[in-house]
Order: sequence, then C-alpha cells, then structure tokens
Amino acid sequence: MRWTRKLRLRVRSLLRSAQVERELDEELQYHLEHLIEDHVARGMSPADARHTALREMGAIDQRKEECRDARGLTLIDSLRQDATYALRSLRRTPAFSIVATASLAIGIGANTTIFTVVNAVLLRSLPYPGSDRVVVLHEHALDSAEPLSVHPVNFAAWRARARSFESLVLVQFPPLNVIGSSGPEQIGRLLTTSELFRVFGVSPVLGRGFTDEETRPGPHDVVILGHGFWQRWFGGDPGVLGRQLAVQDGSLTIIGVAPRGFRIGSAEPDAFTPLTIDPADPASSGSRAFQCYGRLASGVSLDAARSEMTVIASALRGEYRLDDGMGVFVSGLHEYLVREARPGLRLLMAVVSTVLVIACVNLAALLMARGISRRGEFAVRAALGASRARLVRQLVIESIVLSTCGGAAGLLVAYWAIHALVALTAGALMPATSEPIRLDAACLFFTFATSAVTALAFGLVPALQASHVDPQTALRERTWGATGDRRHHRIRSVLVVTEVALAVVLLVGAGLLLRTLSNLVRVNLGFQPAGTVTMGLFLGVRPPEARIAVIDQILDRVEGLPDVKAAGTIQFLPLRGMTCGTGFWLEEHAAGQDPAHARPTECALVSRGYFAAMGIPILDGRPFDRRDRITSPRVVMVNQSFAKRYFPDGRAIGRRVLVQGSNQALAEIVGVVGDVHHDGLTSEPAPTVFLLHAQTPGYITNLVVRTNGEPLAHAAAIRRAIHEVDPMQAVSSVRTIAQDVANVLARPRLYALLVTCFAAIAVTLAAIGVYGLIAYIVTQRTHEIGIRVALGATREKVFFEMLGQGARLVAAGLLVGLTVAVGLREAASNLVFGVTTGDPLTYLLAALAFLGVALAAVMIPAHRASQVEPTTALRCE
Amino acid sequence: MSKPTDLVQGTLDLLILRVVAPEPLHGWAIAQRIRQMSNEQLRVGQSALYPALHKLEQQGWIEARWAPSENNRRAKYYRLTAAGRRALKTETAQWERLSAAISLIVKPA
Repeated sequence: MRWTRKLRLRVRSLLRSAQVERELDEELQYHLEHLIEDHVARGMSPADARHTALREMGAIDQRKEECRDARGLTLIDSLRQDATYALRSLRRTPAFSIVATASLAIGIGANTTIFTVVNAVLLRSLPYPGSDRVVVLHEHALDSAEPLSVHPVNFAAWRARARSFESLVLVQFPPLNVIGSSGPEQIGRLLTTSELFRVFGVSPVLGRGFTDEETRPGPHDVVILGHGFWQRWFGGDPGVLGRQLAVQDGSLTIIGVAPRGFRIGSAEPDAFTPLTIDPADPASSGSRAFQCYGRLASGVSLDAARSEMTVIASALRGEYRLDDGMGVFVSGLHEYLVREARPGLRLLMAVVSTVLVIACVNLAALLMARGISRRGEFAVRAALGASRARLVRQLVIESIVLSTCGGAAGLLVAYWAIHALVALTAGALMPATSEPIRLDAACLFFTFATSAVTALAFGLVPALQASHVDPQTALRERTWGATGDRRHHRIRSVLVVTEVALAVVLLVGAGLLLRTLSNLVRVNLGFQPAGTVTMGLFLGVRPPEARIAVIDQILDRVEGLPDVKAAGTIQFLPLRGMTCGTGFWLEEHAAGQDPAHARPTECALVSRGYFAAMGIPILDGRPFDRRDRITSPRVVMVNQSFAKRYFPDGRAIGRRVLVQGSNQALAEIVGVVGDVHHDGLTSEPAPTVFLLHAQTPGYITNLVVRTNGEPLAHAAAIRRAIHEVDPMQAVSSVRTIAQDVANVLARPRLYALLVTCFAAIAVTLAAIGVYGLIAYIVTQRTHEIGIRVALGATREKVFFEMLGQGARLVAAGLLVGLTVAVGLREAASNLVFGVTTGDPLTYLLAALAFLGVALAAVMIPAHRASQVEPTTALRCE
Repeated sequence: MSKPTDLVQGTLDLLILRVVAPEPLHGWAIAQRIRQMSNEQLRVGQSALYPALHKLEQQGWIEARWAPSENNRRAKYYRLTAAGRRALKTETAQWERLSAAISLIVKPA
C-alpha cells in the first residue's frame, strides 16, 4: 500500500476517532451475534447461548483496547490526554494562567511587532533585479561620515575614470509643472542621465529609455512617463508613444513608460526627463545637489569599488578646489537606505528580546513555585507508577500549552501594535523606500519559533526540578508542611536577580533616550518655527527676468495680506534633508577662477524677507532688501560659521567673494546671519553663503510666510495671492515648519517612547518576580514566624527581616544591572545626544526608580509576614 | 479453544492472509474458514483475531469495507491488497522453509 493510504488511515483513526470506535463496536457486536447463533444452533437456550458467548468474548473493552493499540494510537492519545489535562489544570488556577499568558503575550507580541518592522526594513531586499549589485555613491567631508550630495563635475570624472561599475547614473528630483485638462499641476519628476534603467536592472514597459545623445546639451523635448501617471492621465493607453505632454513652456514627446512601481525615493516619479551634462563643462549642470547610483561590474566586489573610488577621490582633491577636504563613499543601496533606521531597530530588537527573557524568567520562577505546590500531586503519580519522563512530558506539555496561548495572544497584540505603530510613526521607523509593513509568513514563523523556544526556555528547568520527586519524602513532607528547599530558593533567587538586572539595564537605556529627547527638544534651531507656513513653488523654465519678477510680485502680494508679518523664499528649506554644496573664491583668488583656490561652502538661494520670515537673526550688516536688484552691485550674505571660518579677523562685512554657479561675478558680503541647524538637529551648522534670487534666479523655490495665529489658516489666502500674480503657477506641499521640526524629532521621540514603555513593562515584571519570591518565602515560613512571634519576636523585627531578604535580592540585581549597563553603553552611543552613555545621573535615577518600585513590591509580603497571628499559624497545620 | 500463544508467532497473520486471498470475508467468517480448512484443528479466538485484523489493516496488507452480509446485516469485509498478496507469497515461502526444517528435527528418523 502506498504510504499516503497508510497516513490517511492513521489520520482517520486520530481525527474521526468517534467513528472508528463505533465501527469497532459494530464489528465486535456482529461477531458476538454469530457466536450466539452458533451456540443456539447446537441446542443451547438463547439466554445460555448469550451468556456463554459473552464469556467467550472476554471483556469486550479489552479487545477494543488491543485493537486500538494495533492502530498505534496510544502515544498520540496520551499526548492528547496530557494536553487536555494541562488545559484543565491551567483552568483550575486562573490567576496564574492569566498572568502567565499575559506576560508571554506582551513579550511575544512586542517581539513580533518589532520583528515585523525589522523584516520589512532590514531583511526584505529591494524590488530591483539583482538589487545587491546596486550601489549608491555619495560625497562626504573627510572629517565626517555624513553623506552629501554629488557634484556633476565629480560625476563626470567618476564616469570617465571608474572601472568598477557597469554603469553610473546621476539624478535629481525637481518637480515638473504640466498642463492638464483642469489647469496646471505640479507632478513628481526624476531628472536623470541615460543609464537609469540599466543601473536598476529594469526596462521600460513601453518605448525606450534616454539615449546618451539626449543627455548632452541640446533641445531634447522628450519624456518617459511613470507607470502610475500613465494609468492616471492616459488610462494606460498603449498608443501613448509619440503623443505630447503639455508643460508650462511647451510640450514634451512621450518616448517611453517606466515599469510598474519603479521608484528610487519614497514616491513613484510621475515623469522622467533627461538630465543634460555638458562633457566640456559639467559644472554648468548645477552644484553639489545630485544623487548618484551605480551597478557594480560583474566580478567586482563592493570593497574593490570602494578602494578604486578612494583613489579617484584623492586624485580629484588635487585637481579641483571644490573637492578640497571631500571624499567619496560607495555603499550598497539597501545598506544606505536603512543606515539611519538600523541602529535604532537593532536597539529595539535587543530591548524587546530582553523583555521576553524577563517574561520567561518570571514565568520559570512562577512555574517553579507551582511545581513545589504540586509536589504532592507528582508524588502520588510517581507512586502510582508514572515514570520521571512521563512527569517531565506532562509539565513540558503544560508549558507548550501556555506558550501557545501566549503566542496566539501575542499575535493579536502584534497585529494591533503594528497598526498603531505604523499609524503613530509614519516614516520614523523606516526609510521611505521600504515596502509596507505587514505581518507576513516570515513574521508568523518568527512568532511560532519564538513561542516554541520560549516554552522550552521557561518550561524545561522547572519541569526537571519538579519531576525530581521521591514519593516517600514528598508525601511525608506534605503532611509536615515544606520547610523550604534551599536549592529551589537559590535557583529562584538567581532568576529574580537576573530579571532585576535586565530591567535595570532597560531602565538606564530608557533614561538615556529620554534625556536625549529632552536635549533635542531644547536644541536652539537658529530660527523660530512657530507661526510659519511654507509651500513649494516650482518656477519652471522661464527666462531669468520672469523668474525674478514672479517672485517679486508674489512677495509683494503676500506681504500685503492681513496677518502676514514677513515673507521670503529659499531653494531648500532647513530640516528637509536637502543641501547644496559649492565652492567660492576670495577676491584675491577670484581673477583666474583657478579650481585649486576654490574653498568649499554650503550655498542657499534666498529672496529678500527670508530671514525675517524664518526668524533668523541678522548679527551684522543688513539683510537683503529691495535695493538689491539684477542691475545693482552683486551682494551675498553669510552665516556665522562662514564668517568665523573664512574671516577669522571678524570683518566679513564689505569683503568680496566669487561663488561658483552665481553668474560668476564678485559679490560683496552685506550681512552676517545666525547659524541654523539646516541638516538636522544633531549636525553642526556648516559655513553657508546666501545668494539672492533677485540676482541669480533659481527654478525650485519654497515660499516661507510668517503669520499671526494659526499659519495653515492663511494658506488659502496666500495661494489666492499667488494665483493673482500667475494663474498657471502650481503650488505644492503646504506645510508648517513646526511639522518639519516634529518630523525630525519623530525618530528620537519614538525610540524614547518605546524603550520607556518596554522598560516599564520590564520593571513591572521584575517587581512581580521579587514580590512572588518573597510572598512565597513568607507562606513557607508562616509556621516558623508564628512560633517566633509566640516566643516574643516583635512585628518590626519580622517585617524588617523579610524586607531585608527582598532588599538583598534587589540590591544584587541592581548591582549586576548597573554593571551590565556600563558594559553595554557603547551599543547606544550613536543614539544619544547631549548626554554621555555613562552619565552618572541617569544611572542613579534609574537605580532609585527601580529601588522604589521593588521595595514597594517587597513591602506587601513583608507586612503580611509581620501580621502573622501565632495561634492561626500554628493551627493551620 | 486455542489461545493466540498456541500459534507460532506470526502464523495467525499468514492464516488470515491465506483465508482472505480468494474472496473478501468478515471477521466471523475468517474464524470459521480457518476452523474448517484446518479440519477443526485450529480455532482462532476473537481476542487474537480482531487485533490481528486491525494490525494488518494498518500495515496495508488488507483493506476493510462495510458491506451487507449473507444474512443481510452490515459487516466489515477484509480483502487482500496488492501489498498483502506480495506479503502472502513471502510469508508462505518462509513458513514452508520453517515447517520443513521443524519436520526434519521432530519426525522420528
């Protein structure tokens, strides 16, 4: 017979056991009746025949049992019995079962939740073919690992020299204003060189990618549509190639459609247009404001690519002053995208694992106490012939039943927690590119595995210990009342000390993160976020005079609105992750524009009114104003860092500099403004030069308006004012600066919140553990305490003795915990800010906080011990 | 009545397989057939018969089906499977070797 049939029979015996039993009954009954007929045929009376037949059949039940044995059901049956028995015995002690299931649910739920995030962010690979070969190249200042954008000059040099890459692509994300049936609309656009699809290993679903020719200077009015945009605007029309897409200043010919869902950043681009780079003058394409991606050539390792790029970068430092002090770094794209999320997620994973360990330790201690109180039961069973293996099996099955319940409840907790977490944190946990966070097969497997491991972790030791009974001693002891088992106490004490230590470690971690958060909140941003609203204005391809005029008129209108205190524009707002690096020459070096003499600086393009709108103080000189026009002498402003670094004599005002990419004219420094945390709260302000939109007009700009009262309430009026100037001007992403600040704080806030929550859970569990042990000791010693009180011991003495026992455990745990925390402090070093990981105050506060909770937990049983009435205590045996 | 231990270990299986080989039979009929075929020498008690039947069924050598019996009642009929037929062949050969060997020793010269 095939094994499948065999299996089917087994399964049938197991699952349809009622039917199998019935059939067995019927079969034996049939035999019995034949036997009776047989006897009657030989002349017995029907009654005698039946009697004889029944005797011959023997005990029918025994026959059945033999048949069942033949069907191999005994082991499975007895496992089922064990499980049923376990459930029954857990139901008998609901308090224990609920505490156990709840602490497991919290432990397993927390782990599943964080694992789900880790899985989505760190483990799943990116949705590109051969995504492990895709790398990102970024520049960085040699004294900092902070990634900076890429300069087209460098890109051109890398592309010409590097041999490690199959292809390299340079991109930027400026929006595009298109004209639809309902007027102008600003859409997401990726400006890219020709190698885009090659680097990411995909090909257009329709048409073609850009040719090399299309990314060299010249009129190339071509566009590739994003898949989603193609569906939305053209209904997925397969004949879209060759049609025109109307834009602000003309139209673009559609030459292709990108693959479905293709994106590099958070959103799928709506359109792709060619980024032109003039091989003879790459700097004309822009400054350090691009992203560069590459695909490793086959057989080239990431390390090999890194070493090659390091050599190239050091050569470039000698050739271009704009590369002074700059290096280049190659990272795997996935590695790069998760770089900010990784340390935090690792920390959270460690934290939730610790919570689970504490829950397990707690449960092990509870199970040991339970084992002691069930010693009588085991002794009876052992006396009746149960083997030790049988008893261990019974207990392990109880643990498995518990952990299964805990796992199932944990899954519910996780399901709810994931939703809450995703809703609460939006993008704080994960980089924008990752797939949506959801419970998938990997997560379910993780939960299952965790539950199984947990069951063994907390179940086996207590089971082995409890099953180790000598029926004689145990049964005798029961009649005497156990006087306490030293070995048992020692193990439980170790467990409790472990819990306490782990909880203290978490508490210290939570303390450090809370102090980090409070430091971050108090960081002086350098500007006043309250009361400002911002919106994106993409000016499109108009002549420079028109770009100057439109901003001028918009500012005039907006400034005239009631409740508006100031208005201005800037190309890249602070805290939005965009910077723009360039180089400049001091007047004495400006003549030849010799790259060797250019100095690096951050560069920002602002309009008049910007500093007032942002609330950035003018420290010296004057702000830009209406006097500064395209026809008037060139002016720039610098920040305090710039002034200090390049004019250490303190006299920046009146000096002249030439900034690359600023129409190449010498400009006078007319003002010095305060430093701003442009690139995040923890980064140091960089030297920055401010160019004036009215003299070097840009394309991308953001309007900043300072208002009285709720800033978003004025957004509609501001938008109307803009459309009075140009009804075709698209306006995008209306936000307040306060929202940006909140976004920047989201991640540290989340870490602090989560770790504090987990630490609170850990402390609670540890306190329950301490309480449980002392309460148990008190119960065990009630008899002894009664005698001592009867002999004259005072209640205070009893109270303090019990308190002392608890305090010793807590102190030991605290000591171990603080030591471990000090040992582990490096692990959190890149997550804290403004506080050292060894900060004594935090450690002290954590220790005191825990001490308070733990002593309160110990005081309850200690008080109970002191209230023991000698008469009751002595009678209760 | 013979007890299961009266039969050489494993012989009962062989008898059952042999008896159900020509046609499907129910438990009572199997016992009767063994009795008749052995000239009333061998009697199989139900205490040995049914566990053996269930074991053979689990092994896949016979399969069971409910069908109406000669007196029009529902009875469980056992039938030889292909695997059972193969087993019957090897068991028979083995038995012949064994009984020949025993005869050699037991028969007076």
